[in-house]
Amino acid sequence: MTAPAVFEAKHYKSELKPIWCPGCGDFGVLQGLYRALSAVGRPPHEVAFISGIGCSSRIPGYTTAYGFNTVHGRSLPIAQGVKLANPDLLVVVAGGDGDGFSIGGGHVAHAVRRNIDLTYLVMDNQVYGLTKGQLSPTSPKGLETVTSPLGSLEDPINPLLYMLAYGAGFVAQATPADMPGMTALIEEAIRYPGFSFVNIQSPCVTFGEEDQQLKAHKTKMKTLASLKHDSSNQLAALDLARAYGTELYTGVFYRNPNPPPTYEALVKLRQAEQSKKARPHHQLLEAYLQK
Amino acid sequence: MTRQPQTPSIDFTALTLKDALDLAILIEEEARDRYEELSAQLVLHRTPGAAAFFSKMVRIEELHRKQLLEERTKAFGDQPSAVRREMIFDIEAPDYDEARAEMTTRQALETALRSEEKAHRFFVEVLSHVQNPEVKKLFEELRDEEVEHQQLVKAELAKLPPGDPLQGVDVGDGPAPQ
Amino acid sequence: MLDDLILGMAGAGGDGVVSAGESLLAAASSEGYHALMTKSFGSQIRGGESSCRVRLSTKKVLNPGGALDVVVALNWDDFFKFGAELPLSIDTIFIYEEKAGPPPETLKARGVVPKELIPVSISELTKKSSGTEKSKTSVVLGLLSGWFGIPAEAISRGIKKKFGSKGEGLLEANEKALAAGIEYAKAHPLASPHELARPKAAPGSKMLCDGNDMCAAGALFAGVKFFGGYPITPSTEVMQTLSKEIWKYGGTVLQCEDEIAGIGATVGASFAGRKSMTATSGPGMDLKTEILGLATIAELPLVVLNVQRGGPSTGLPTKPEQADLFQAAFSGHGDVLRPVLAPTDVEDSFKTTVTAFNIAEQYQTPVIILSDQEIAQRKEALDLIDTTKLEVIDRRVPTAAELADKPYARFALTESGISPISHPGMEKGTYLAAGIEHNEKGDPTSSGGLHAKMNEKRFKKLEPLKQRSDLFELRGNADAKLGFIAWGSTAGVAREAVELAKADGHDVKLLIPYLLHPIAEQVYADFFRSLTHGLVVELSHQGQLYRMLRMFIDVPKGVRSFARSGANPFQPRELVKRLIELKGQPS
Repeated sequence: MTAPAVFEAKHYKSELKPIWCPGCGDFGVLQGLYRALSAVGRPPHEVAFISGIGCSSRIPGYTTAYGFNTVHGRSLPIAQGVKLANPDLLVVVAGGDGDGFSIGGGHVAHAVRRNIDLTYLVMDNQVYGLTKGQLSPTSPKGLETVTSPLGSLEDPINPLLYMLAYGAGFVAQATPADMPGMTALIEEAIRYPGFSFVNIQSPCVTFGEEDQQLKAHKTKMKTLASLKHDSSNQLAALDLARAYGTELYTGVFYRNPNPPPTYEALVKLRQAEQSKKARPHHQLLEAYLQK
Repeated sequence: MTRQPQTPSIDFTALTLKDALDLAILIEEEARDRYEELSAQLVLHRTPGAAAFFSKMVRIEELHRKQLLEERTKAFGDQPSAVRREMIFDIEAPDYDEARAEMTTRQALETALRSEEKAHRFFVEVLSHVQNPEVKKLFEELRDEEVEHQQLVKAELAKLPPGDPLQGVDVGDGPAPQ
Repeated sequence: MLDDLILGMAGAGGDGVVSAGESLLAAASSEGYHALMTKSFGSQIRGGESSCRVRLSTKKVLNPGGALDVVVALNWDDFFKFGAELPLSIDTIFIYEEKAGPPPETLKARGVVPKELIPVSISELTKKSSGTEKSKTSVVLGLLSGWFGIPAEAISRGIKKKFGSKGEGLLEANEKALAAGIEYAKAHPLASPHELARPKAAPGSKMLCDGNDMCAAGALFAGVKFFGGYPITPSTEVMQTLSKEIWKYGGTVLQCEDEIAGIGATVGASFAGRKSMTATSGPGMDLKTEILGLATIAELPLVVLNVQRGGPSTGLPTKPEQADLFQAAFSGHGDVLRPVLAPTDVEDSFKTTVTAFNIAEQYQTPVIILSDQEIAQRKEALDLIDTTKLEVIDRRVPTAAELADKPYARFALTESGISPISHPGMEKGTYLAAGIEHNEKGDPTSSGGLHAKMNEKRFKKLEPLKQRSDLFELRGNADAKLGFIAWGSTAGVAREAVELAKADGHDVKLLIPYLLHPIAEQVYADFFRSLTHGLVVELSHQGQLYRMLRMFIDVPKGVRSFARSGANPFQPRELVKRLIELKGQPS
């Protein structure tokens, strides 16, 4: 087989034209993703890209990888099935804050605790864009939207704190306002051997608030490196994550310095050990003979 | 075993003339591709004036790229390149954030102007690191060209008919739910 | 000598009548008898009432049978809680704990005059013989051995299998109690001898398994590599078995956080190119519906086992019902054609599961298997299934040459409606699978024209299923004017009813569809042609198959629905009776 030495970012770009609104943060995320995939260097056909429903969930179609644009909120379980069925694949999961933390919120803890080697990218824009601007699980309290015309009465979810508390081995936050930083974080997340999560603040240009736009990000963002944060310190990470919604920290909050074996690695061990007990195909039923 | 990010970057202090030319070509290429993307976005979103202007920018950036490529080929033939597109981020290319559905031609021109200014800032910044005199010369030329480009865009802007007095007032259909 | 014996036992959960039934079944099957056991419990997790029915025969057993030949009641309250599940007749022999007193008068009110009433002070006999009351059911087994001729050594082996892990003390007590029971029976012979004939098959030649075992084994035989599921009665045993076995064959079981994740992971594994399956019951099916639609539009092979229980909602979690047919065929939004198969007994559960995988893979579609609590959890002793003639079909993947030739079109509109399916890892096979409508390449579309073409493709590809004779069973004379249609666990009752009717001199035929959806119009039309009167027999209040038939084809007036709610199993005799009554009416 001829192995192309290098896959450039453009090799991951498909011919489909994104339906996103001009100015959408997701364009930058997509560009960063192409580059991160190129840096990792797996050929597109060995990448499976799974998403749910939402503006950002359209993203697999814009890549040349195998894509599966599934149903609302279920990308994580579906991606786990893909990875367990074929652990040699690079599996990336993407979606929005509504997809991941509202309708699909119940799956997150379990994806994390199983520690299957997936990279989960959430494009967090604090609003439902595809259905025209309703309140999302990360919308700030008091936000006025079409479903909260008098202001929302509930606190938002803090995705960073959730992921850390569930025990994720890699938790980061990025913004396409800093393309090189975001690209490096996506790449590092993909390379992390286990479940990894990047919360990408990807503003909605049509329904988002002014202070959530990329221009605002550029003045607001602070890198965790500049705060001298030690990314192996889980408690410090939890402390910093509490600022979600008020501060825009970018970088790695937590990276487990000693990643435990992944679920699929343990599966492989078990299969190897149990395969010795396999019965020949046509003698399967003899196990049920009553002597 | 895990590796830290391998995102490639450029060491400007050690840049050779060949690499510098290749870099300049990639900067034009990136800008060309970005204008093309933005133009396509705006065609899809029924913003023909701005789309047409971005298309024009595609041709201009491509022209610049070709000129630089000729220069490179004359000097270095087909010697392999040491720099790659993955090493640069939005140098002359307008940010994705610049595009808006229903943006005016004037706004599109302003986008281009900001992008030329951005590129200018890039060369000014990089020149403070560059050691190689040939590279220095090339980057100074390119820096000055960016000023020329800015003037061209400004002249275009001045030629535009005055804006609609109700510009910015949205009378169109709202966004469509999907 | 008898060829067939049906026993029923009931008591408090702590008495262990079900465990005794299992020992009896293990004994009979190891001897070479055909045997079948169903069990039934109250709704308490521990300490409720429990019962079992054991049918032993020298011939193939088709169903749990009609009225009991023998009843063992440890107390009457618990016994009568099971109603129609332990049916009685004037031929039933009653063995009961003497302390419980004679059967209540209500029995007579129901028209049952016991043939023979045998009080035995079981508790006392147990204590005297073994010094403990824990071995009560061994006395019962001893009585059954003595009176009905089931070899004591076999029962002793069965007890060892069941209780071997609980220590020498218990085994010893059980042995003593068993001997005491046998001795008592010998000393007090029955007024009407009921000795069971020796089995025709050799000892050690019978498999002992239930429907859930056979679904799991069928999946393994078909090559399942992934199972995602969530515990739900009465299907959980399938996941339990695979959790132990699947690793040996290079597969994985994922116990998911919920039913949706269960089918989600399963559909993901199928997208990744592996044979995959999930199992559940009605409430789980409700939750899985959205992703079933995804598998239909993305044309992904998938096997979904629904072990039906009584519904709606929580309904009757431990009882059988056949009321999920509409759900299996029609649940979900949009135009969906989804194959639905139903096994009719334990043996079938194996073959039907293999067929389900074959159809799923060949036609790139989710396939639903409708089992039910009765066949899923009834233990049967049956002949070893011959698997050498069973075919295993894998999905058609594009060849390297096909992929190199031209850009891959995952959903190419082909003559058959089936287009070769690639999976991640295959070079040049990349595509976008999606819940959104797509063009031939897989790119999203909102074009009405393309949507119509793709719907047509997804329906057309399943058309050949209707012609497959292996998905239908026909019994009896093709020209018969009387007939039954029955499916799932009810089919076994109908098979016996046809035999009973024949013995009574009636010419009755039977159609058993294993394929319930799509409706094979021609098969039913052919069956109806000779009929003046017929019954569609099913365990649901509405009679869902009957209604579906009327939706798709012209059902003759003389063909009626014979349907009732779950947990009220049919008996072969009553099917014949109803059909003959119907015959008297104008068609």
